[in-house]
Amino acid sequence: MSMLASLVRAHDRNEKAPPYGFSSEKIGFCVVLRTDGSVAEVVDLRDTDKKRSPRMLLVPQAVKRTAGIAPNFLWDKSAYVLGVTAGEGKRTAEEHARFRDKHLEWLAEATDEGLVALRRFLEGWQAEAFVPPLWPDDLRDQNLVFRLASEFTFLHDRPAAKALWRQIGAEGASEPQICLVTGEAGPVARLHPSIKGVWEAQSSGASLVSFNLDAFTSYGHEQGDNAPVSEAAAFAYTTALNGFLADKRHRIQIGDASTVFWADCADAATAGEAESLFAAYYDKASEDDLAAGKIGGRLEEIRSGAQLDKFAPELAKGVRFYVLGLAPNAARLSVRFYWTSDFGTLTANYQRYLSDTKLTPPPRDGWPPLWRYLVELAVQGKRENVPPLIAGEWMRAILTGAPYPLTLLSTTLMRIRADGEVNALRAAILKSVLIRNFKSKEAPVALDPANTNKGYMLGRLFAVYEEVQRGALGGNVNATIKDKFYGAASATPQKVFRTLDAGSQNHFSKLRKQSPGRAVNLEKLLTSITDLMDPGNDPIPASLNAAEQALFGIGYYHQRSDFFRKHDDKTSEEPVK
Amino acid sequence: MAFGIRLHVWGQHGLFTRPELKVERVSYDVMTPSAARGILEAIHWKPAITWVIDRIHVLEKIRFQSIRRNEVGHKAPAGTIKRAMNRGDLEGVQLLVDEDRQQRASTVLVTPAYVIEAHFVLTARAEPGDNEGKHLDIFNRRAAKGQCFHQPCLGTREFAAHFALIEPGAPLPARNPKAQTAELGFGAPRDLGFMLWDIDHAAPGRPSMLFRAVLQDGVMEVPQPGSAGVKR
Repeated sequence: MSMLASLVRAHDRNEKAPPYGFSSEKIGFCVVLRTDGSVAEVVDLRDTDKKRSPRMLLVPQAVKRTAGIAPNFLWDKSAYVLGVTAGEGKRTAEEHARFRDKHLEWLAEATDEGLVALRRFLEGWQAEAFVPPLWPDDLRDQNLVFRLASEFTFLHDRPAAKALWRQIGAEGASEPQICLVTGEAGPVARLHPSIKGVWEAQSSGASLVSFNLDAFTSYGHEQGDNAPVSEAAAFAYTTALNGFLADKRHRIQIGDASTVFWADCADAATAGEAESLFAAYYDKASEDDLAAGKIGGRLEEIRSGAQLDKFAPELAKGVRFYVLGLAPNAARLSVRFYWTSDFGTLTANYQRYLSDTKLTPPPRDGWPPLWRYLVELAVQGKRENVPPLIAGEWMRAILTGAPYPLTLLSTTLMRIRADGEVNALRAAILKSVLIRNFKSKEAPVALDPANTNKGYMLGRLFAVYEEVQRGALGGNVNATIKDKFYGAASATPQKVFRTLDAGSQNHFSKLRKQSPGRAVNLEKLLTSITDLMDPGNDPIPASLNAAEQALFGIGYYHQRSDFFRKHDDKTSEEPVK
Repeated sequence: MAFGIRLHVWGQHGLFTRPELKVERVSYDVMTPSAARGILEAIHWKPAITWVIDRIHVLEKIRFQSIRRNEVGHKAPAGTIKRAMNRGDLEGVQLLVDEDRQQRASTVLVTPAYVIEAHFVLTARAEPGDNEGKHLDIFNRRAAKGQCFHQPCLGTREFAAHFALIEPGAPLPARNPKAQTAELGFGAPRDLGFMLWDIDHAAPGRPSMLFRAVLQDGVMEVPQPGSAGVKR
């Protein structure tokens, strides 16, 4: 099923979703009218909390307003309804005039008591009549609805109003065309409703389907005719997507990709469980909420590598799962990835991702969420600096079990060279790319003293030289050999290792005087590494390729953390950097 | 099929743009019939014949990748060019790429490979000298030699298509064994949703024609023109 079709399906399955032609909007006040059109009172609908948040009410769907003036039906903000704003509205009078004229036109033939009252109210209203205490100042710039004094239903909920709204909707409809989502003929949506809540996109909302420049159009078609989607389907998919984006249980942020996900299965509780598990796979925040209870236990089992169909067969079979990653681009939204399969496959691929990134010693605080890895790829470790596209491509590869993007390898190596930091997360990324893309069996989980890969051995050797220097000069060296030489040593070892070896002789002679035992141990270690090297096979090559550089990083990480671990064992004698 | 042909096509990337996601382009999962027709027409086409796609075999896994590129935001207006031609002066015709740049993302298929099964029918413009055997021979000869009028492509021009004729009676190229999964409709048919069948250039407004695409055992059946499967 295509992306839009599955969103439409998600909308149709949701019983709480607003019906076609209506949307959920923030409403602040209700104007109570008498049948003669005079105002009985003004009711504050807002919540009593500190922020006085407006109430969400189902109202006739909002029109798409960009530069023009267009009133909503039977509700709108105070500038339109009454002609009053808090600021200095240049167009306020014009906006109110348009609201009044449009409604007088729409309501001209209305016979319903409520609609007649509104018509009379609009005929008689002057903006000068806006005075406290009847009209509170708070009302400015809030959205308003109406109701009759004698009843408790809002004006837009009256059957007559709903019938009129359907009639208005049908008037503007275009010639019916085949809808590419449903395959049925219907009036085509010219402009699709906005999608709100995508990270870094325009706050007023951006469009998923739009043709905002003429290079994007074909065959002389205009606007929505370029991709015939029926009004009903456009309404359904945007409502579903907006609902998911606003809901913490259906959305996580991965790099610059706002990711929504939903499960589709007969049993709502199972679907909810699948959704909670997915959120916990990739995001720590939601995991903490679940730590207790059944789901937390299942999460542990999945992470330990247990097969899903063994302990949760209802999740493994029969749950369709959808994941959609959206990222903004100019005023548009772009699909970074869209993936659908059953939940069992999704979990198996997640477990594969875990085993590929597994590394000893692990990062300090347990399972890192995906964004922690992504931040390692960003300049200055800032989330907004995560290179675009990588997050989405990587997530797609994790979901599908496909090879990782190779930019992941080059970006990590570049970051290591730039700031000289080789930590658990970076080493884990390097290892997972080697395993998945290069089918490398040489990338070990933990320190492997017998590994004879050139990159790995040189990485270990480099860590030993650094340790010798630290032993001789202490931890307070301004620029250690790592700071000075890591980039060169990992890329062009031949240029550097001779110098390192020469330098280490000086460090060794100093270390022998300070702590002879340590010097002997380090010398033994150094020899054990160089003994592995095969002189006939150019142990210190002129250059290392990207995969060997990655192994260099892993070897360095393993050997270096090994030194620190030993220190931990015998109550460290030196401050750990 | 008496006048059927089979053509093996493959390439590094493919982009069969979905109409609804054509600004930030996203590809269909499988080659569209109109894209297949375009490939055949690149090899042999005359006004006397029209190609009809019967089915498309998918030989590789459906894999996607995102690419972001710089493009231009506007078309060169035909009116401006016409005026410039009448005037004999190029003033104001140019489209300056660095002043009108648009970054657009494309989600493209990676290493797609298909077998197109198709046949052709003679049109009203066929002349007395035209007959099926002649055009079939021309197509087979040209395709076997690798000749084409212009380089065929997998959806968009930048993704060139390689092609090889499958001789009548010869077996189909082997499908990647790793691709024989539920994703390609092995086990149970996989519903791909509605797909563009072709564009009706003869009708006013040039409407799109759609069909319900289903992958079964790696094969997508394409409805025949005029059949109930083609929605218009």
